[in-house]
Amino acid sequence: MPQHTIKRFDEELDKLKELVLSMGGLVERAIGHAVKSMLDQDEALAKKTIERDKAINALEVQCDEMTRDILVRRQPAAGDLRFIMGIIKVVTDLERMGDLSAGIAEGTLRSLEHPPKEFSNLSTMGKKVQKQVNRTLNAFSRGDTELAMRVIEKDERIDVLYKRMYRELLTYMIEDPRDITASIILSNVAKNLERISDHATNISEMLIYIERGHDIRHVDHEAAAKLLSGEEI
Amino acid sequence: MNTSKVNIKDLKLWYGESEALHGIDIEFSEKRVTALIGPSGCGKSTLLRCLNRMNDRIPGCRIEGQILLDGDDIYAPEVDVVQLRTHVGMVFQKPNPFPKSIYENVAYAPRIHGLAGSGSDMDELVETALRRASIWKEVKDKLHTPGTALSGGQQQRLCIARTIAVQPNVILMDEPCSALDPIATAKIEELIDELKREFTIIMVTHSMQQAARISDQTAFFYMGDLIEFGETGTIFTQPEKQQTEDYITGRFG
Repeated sequence: MPQHTIKRFDEELDKLKELVLSMGGLVERAIGHAVKSMLDQDEALAKKTIERDKAINALEVQCDEMTRDILVRRQPAAGDLRFIMGIIKVVTDLERMGDLSAGIAEGTLRSLEHPPKEFSNLSTMGKKVQKQVNRTLNAFSRGDTELAMRVIEKDERIDVLYKRMYRELLTYMIEDPRDITASIILSNVAKNLERISDHATNISEMLIYIERGHDIRHVDHEAAAKLLSGEEI
Repeated sequence: MNTSKVNIKDLKLWYGESEALHGIDIEFSEKRVTALIGPSGCGKSTLLRCLNRMNDRIPGCRIEGQILLDGDDIYAPEVDVVQLRTHVGMVFQKPNPFPKSIYENVAYAPRIHGLAGSGSDMDELVETALRRASIWKEVKDKLHTPGTALSGGQQQRLCIARTIAVQPNVILMDEPCSALDPIATAKIEELIDELKREFTIIMVTHSMQQAARISDQTAFFYMGDLIEFGETGTIFTQPEKQQTEDYITGRFG
């Protein structure tokens, strides 16, 4: 795409994208650390993860300021407008993902007094959710709508993993009431991961809107794929 | 359902040897505002001027193709251009009231076209036109002072009153706000929004924000071609053509 006649506008858009990607990087790391802190029962790592959420929040504010400035000064249209609208949504999703990761780390701190005997498939789920976040950030970085569609499709697998883990934890609780506290903490952690994956999906949906102009939120996968291939739905 | 008011078919226009419009096909819907946008020299004003045959006066200018107003060819030999211009009025970039009183500015055309009989009929016609142009309250106590003594924005609304006094079907506007301050511009834009209930409005504007604010449909022209035409909301959020995208996002040239 050619550059704007006003070069400063290009610089501002690049800078904003860079900032969102740095925020995404911090979120990705926070998820990994939060899950690791639980699996290793690592108090220090959990505390560090909670503390680092402040940096994610600060980046959200910074992105919002830049977005507001661009709206006022440049009055973006077409692709630029979709990009700015997308950023407003993406930043909110990333901030929520940061909060949910901090929530997992808080779960670790609570679990120290009630250590779980087993972590069910938390490790697998953590890795898969991290992969989802990594994919959505890569898709966003490259404007890759195919990869974004993959993220959207794979979210169902995360839902399945969560339900499986929840059922397993329920069994532990029924079998031994002493496991109830630990299992509830773990089940909340799994719920947070499942919601993080939902936010990753939101980001991919917004990317498709930014790149292609199609709003595929609340549309099933098949219809979304048809929309992207140019078919009427 | 939108009814077509003006239908342009394969319109080509030459200034001497130079082809300025390369076969334009476009339909303007009744009682809607259409904005014509594009860089200088793209042909948008040329096209606008074809719609009430103002290009007829330019030496060496010739056209091919058809412009139908309510299905009738406005370039047919039997068409009376003066009559045509009562149906298709024009508001220009720079307000151009006649050097006469406010009253006479509005009454002049209806009088020569015999649209009002007695003096009281004419008074009523002038008042109605000034009211519809949202300037009545500001001028009702000074109808016999010169129109040229008004502010720029008021002069432009007076020119709009003058245009609608002869009950046109279509109003053409050639950058009607480019000489006005933001408040006067807002008043004209508000007026355009009112006027579209009765008139079909086709407007050339260099302000993309203005096109986005007030038009229902937008047509983007480039170098004598119509590149894209569609609903304004779509053109400004999701244009189909890369050239349109580049122009409205400021990536041109």
